[in-house]
Amino acid sequence: MVATTCKDFLNHVEAWIGGEHHPDANAHFRNCPACRSLVEDLNAIRSEARSWTAEEAEPSPRVWNSLRLQLEQDGLIHEAAKTEPAPVTTGWLSGWFRALPRPALAGAYLAVLIAAAFALSRPIDRRINEARWLEGTQVFTFPLSAQLDTEQNAAYSLRNSDPAVTASLHQNLAIVDNYITLCEKSVREEPQNEMARDYLYEAYQQKADLLAQMTERGEAIQ
Amino acid sequence: MPEADAIRLAQQGDAPAFERLYRLHSRRVYSLCLRMVGNTAEAEDLTQEAFLQLFRKISTFRGESAFSTWLHRLAVNVVLMKLRKKSGTETSLDEMTEPDEESGGPRRDFGGPDLRLSGSVDRVNLQRAVEQLPPGYKAVFVLHDVQGYEHNEIADIMQCSIGNSKSQLHKARMRLRELLHEALRAKAREERKAAGADSGGED
Repeated sequence: MVATTCKDFLNHVEAWIGGEHHPDANAHFRNCPACRSLVEDLNAIRSEARSWTAEEAEPSPRVWNSLRLQLEQDGLIHEAAKTEPAPVTTGWLSGWFRALPRPALAGAYLAVLIAAAFALSRPIDRRINEARWLEGTQVFTFPLSAQLDTEQNAAYSLRNSDPAVTASLHQNLAIVDNYITLCEKSVREEPQNEMARDYLYEAYQQKADLLAQMTERGEAIQ
Repeated sequence: MPEADAIRLAQQGDAPAFERLYRLHSRRVYSLCLRMVGNTAEAEDLTQEAFLQLFRKISTFRGESAFSTWLHRLAVNVVLMKLRKKSGTETSLDEMTEPDEESGGPRRDFGGPDLRLSGSVDRVNLQRAVEQLPPGYKAVFVLHDVQGYEHNEIADIMQCSIGNSKSQLHKARMRLRELLHEALRAKAREERKAAGADSGGED
């Protein structure tokens, strides 16, 4: 490789950032600020892109649930053998929750979503500082998390027909909870980042959807 | 359950085996879709579609290529198909690059020492730039630089040559650099304008 001009260097820059430092290219690189800048930029892009791998998230549980339904409809998977339902965990909360009519449950989920949407989509006043915004976000999202947790406890207490399905839903719930934790962390770190707030809102929405599904399944066999 | 067993059982219609395969690969497939389309709801729909296609064809899987390569090939095709429909054109993968760059060779925009990206590339502005890439560049960039696939694997997934994969990646990175520089310049202009307005307001 003879890299004596910027054009030559550009033609071999991929090899360069891959670690192949030919002496000719080295000589040009040392004396050319433009090519040094190019290499720095490409390395910065590569490094940021690689860090995304650590941020990989699970798709929401609705993906697997819809997929499974589709596979069942296509006749591609066999129905799991029906098993005896798991023993019911009773308590004052489950009694209270079961006593609620279905529209009231739907209303509770809807209220959570509306409140989340309000809290997370308020227009940001660029003049207020991050600390104040963060404080406001916490004030709004803390009761939402608490309300979702209450719904979760209630959903857990419902009877389910299939322990495998229950286990799968609980696993999905754990994934969503992890996702919410990550999103909340992002919002705390970058309170003015609209994308982070969107993700957090979607995370709450996913949890509400999942709890609604669990309730639906639980109530279907009451 | 090891992947090979899950594949064999899924071919016989075993429900937990399907779920096992889904759990093994959904994160990567979803991540690929998300980086390609930049929208969580759309990425989930594409993930579902990719797995649906995979499971519908799983009885034909004979293990000639790695299962994940096969799945990623399906996922990339699903995403590219979606992007083609969005743009309203029927184009081949090779055409999903920028014609001026294809014919004109690499751009000669080297930038300068006064305008460096180092320290200013973050998740948000890089994601914005990636969204502006032509689909072919985007796919290779995400597979290589984000997901860490090698060029021979990308060639398998994209059904192109290794040289083509390398060339697309180079063009993708150069285009990203250009887009990030443009964003930096726009930001600097905005800041100057805001500073001007502030000092004007104080007078």
